[in-house]
Amino acid sequence: MRLRSRNILLAAAVAAPVMLFTLSRMTAQAPQTPGQRPTPAQRPSWTVGSQGPLPEHAKFTPLQAENGGALFIQNCAFCHGKDAGGGETGPDLTRSKLVTGDKNGEAIGAVIRNGRLDKGMPRFSLSDTEILNLVAFIHTQQDASMSQSGNRRGVDESDLHTGNAEAGKKYFEGPGGCTQCHSATGDLAGIASKFSGLRLEMQMLYPRDAKTKATVKTKSGQTFAGTVEYEDEFTLGIRDSSGIYHSWPMTAITAKLDKPVEAHVTAMSKYTDDDIHNVLAYIQTLK
Amino acid sequence: MNWKKSARVLTLAAAATATTGLNAQNVDSAMLKNPPRDSWLGYHGDYSGRRHSALTEINTRNVSGLSLGWAFQTQQNGVLKATPILADGILYFTLPDHVWAIDARSGHQLWHYAAPQTKAFHIGQRGVSILKDKLYYMTSDAHLQALDAKTGNVLWDVEVADSKKGQWATMSPLIVGNHVLVGASGDFDNLQGFLRAVDPDTGKTQWTFYSTPTVDTPRVAYSGNMWMTGTYDPDLNLIYFGTGNPSPVLNGKVRPGDNLYTCTILALDPETGKLVWHFQPSPHDTHDWDAVEIPVLADGVFEGKPRKMLMQASRNGYFFVIDRTNGKNLLTTTFGPVNWTKGVDKDGRPIPNPDKEPAPDGRLIAPDEGGMTNYRSPSFDPKTGLFIVSASPSYSLYFNKPADGAYGWAGADYGLWSKGVLDAIDYKTGKIRWSHELGQRAGSGVLTTEGGLTFTGDSTGNFLALDTATGKTLWHAGAGGQIASSPISYELDGHQYILTSGGNVMFAWRLPEAPAAPAAKRTPTAATTK
Repeated sequence: MRLRSRNILLAAAVAAPVMLFTLSRMTAQAPQTPGQRPTPAQRPSWTVGSQGPLPEHAKFTPLQAENGGALFIQNCAFCHGKDAGGGETGPDLTRSKLVTGDKNGEAIGAVIRNGRLDKGMPRFSLSDTEILNLVAFIHTQQDASMSQSGNRRGVDESDLHTGNAEAGKKYFEGPGGCTQCHSATGDLAGIASKFSGLRLEMQMLYPRDAKTKATVKTKSGQTFAGTVEYEDEFTLGIRDSSGIYHSWPMTAITAKLDKPVEAHVTAMSKYTDDDIHNVLAYIQTLK
Repeated sequence: MNWKKSARVLTLAAAATATTGLNAQNVDSAMLKNPPRDSWLGYHGDYSGRRHSALTEINTRNVSGLSLGWAFQTQQNGVLKATPILADGILYFTLPDHVWAIDARSGHQLWHYAAPQTKAFHIGQRGVSILKDKLYYMTSDAHLQALDAKTGNVLWDVEVADSKKGQWATMSPLIVGNHVLVGASGDFDNLQGFLRAVDPDTGKTQWTFYSTPTVDTPRVAYSGNMWMTGTYDPDLNLIYFGTGNPSPVLNGKVRPGDNLYTCTILALDPETGKLVWHFQPSPHDTHDWDAVEIPVLADGVFEGKPRKMLMQASRNGYFFVIDRTNGKNLLTTTFGPVNWTKGVDKDGRPIPNPDKEPAPDGRLIAPDEGGMTNYRSPSFDPKTGLFIVSASPSYSLYFNKPADGAYGWAGADYGLWSKGVLDAIDYKTGKIRWSHELGQRAGSGVLTTEGGLTFTGDSTGNFLALDTATGKTLWHAGAGGQIASSPISYELDGHQYILTSGGNVMFAWRLPEAPAAPAAKRTPTAATTK
């Protein structure tokens, strides 16, 4: 029971940030010519604030940020880095669009409270004050990071522009086998407007949010169809087209699962790094 | 302070137990070498690291009837990663900044020690160790504290590493003879990894072994932290510890060569800390793949000859069998997809592929940074010759560019995909005899028993008991939380218990007491008559 309701919560928590992310990503990034890596001379000179306009958010006191910093070291720094710039497993929060879009903890707080269990982030039971202090610290770190001059560490979109779009198109249509499921003018049309940079590359390599479809037949002969929300050795949970969640013991049903995303796992065992960069260059043209 | 109050109240409870205690156990060197059935005296239970119990009351025929004896709610934030230890009918286990003593028969709390809050990382605490009347506890800010086992009172406190520089601690100390062996974590900074022997009575340092040169030495690796409990062979009188990854972590260019002794299995003399032999699972690591995973000790026949072996399923995706008398490699194989090497050298070490070092535009790497396995204990089952490990086949992207610098992490990596599977590896061939799907990456360690059972957990919080011979599920129960520790087993009053944790709750499992017990059952059990 607990696990089921957790998954429902999670789905809600994940959906909202993705929307935010997409919107701000579109406005914050200058378009790049695909397949062409900017030379140092072409790069804009990095000045204060040149990492993008400083995000707008509530004002926090230095004490809030300091207290948040102590909590951050205890609870968050192992994964997200001591300065929130990325650590073991956890992403660089100073480059997070969710953080950029957050005004006063409404988005960051939700992630802290609910966790992102599908990505390995646990939920944290902290008081409202503690969460706001963490929010203050994270915003302060992002502001500092976006204000810095000089080349910034971490992954920049321009770092990823090393591939050849034409070779990528060939791989996409040929040995990659991508066209078995995808079409540049169909499901992927405009994908590079929706995602960019590292997010686009990760989405390309493994679209984490892709749903598994299930057709379930119960012992009494009823049939259900929907997307898989929960699956373990003993229980299957699906959401049907009207949004209702159903679950059964595996022993009580026969289920047919359709997991097209598994083709991406197979692809990862075949790709060379050049293939990846070439296909990314090609995907980047699908604006 | 809170803890003082609870400690005062609970001293009474501890005293009460002591008076009803049967035969008091004196946990000394001899007992640590031969732990009795009604104990689990250190992180691994015994010195071998096999996490294998000789108990057979719970077995393949009756495990389906396993039921809850008790559950203990810690009521704290965090997920239990500790292995409880058991001595004298009392269980001791931890969360960061917390130690509990509870009655192993009932789950009743005897005392609770809440350490002062520190600013160090609180990513986990793996448990306390015991020698005679003292417990040894590593604080999150890398101090070693000796606690009075009866009360939880702090007897002394010594700094093992300076947490202000960036090290922290999670480790359950290994106790060998008159030495408490401790290390720390900390690859977010360029610091020297070490193993230190501390006097159990006074806390004084006896010796220190450093994994790397001092941090003012140019163009070498630092770190190589020893943050997991090692193992010990009393006959050879050697201790075995794995060292952590080098730092700067993802930038290998500034530290050419093998980077000894990072990502290395060390055999040390416990009296002096002198290095006797070493074997390096990951020469020149650039992917954060510590080689601290449990060095499991077992004796058996290998290629027709009786061997004293050391086995490690390493975070880098390789499984090694080594002759533990001299460090010579017997077998090297992978236990999942691995794409970062150009093969294996004549000494059985993987050869890292320079093209798979983190790069500005990213490199696709298998496994991911969490590794094919991690700190959770594997188990070795002597009867089947199976080394059973919770594995995570996985892919990720690794980045490093000049702007990332040469300090600490020095790069970025992003996991793409992973799953969880329990692999049973035949040590003689390195082949996987069976695999059991665990969903996504699972966090539970593994216990095998002489009753033919393998206990572990899946990624969604199900405790599992499998048939060790086949990998088939014989029993399961929902934990309602993340399983992140390794199970243990012991016998009390003639009955076997299995201990597992889910979330911040400890669960004790046993067979139900049959109202009309068959003649074979012992009568009456003391579980409810304390």
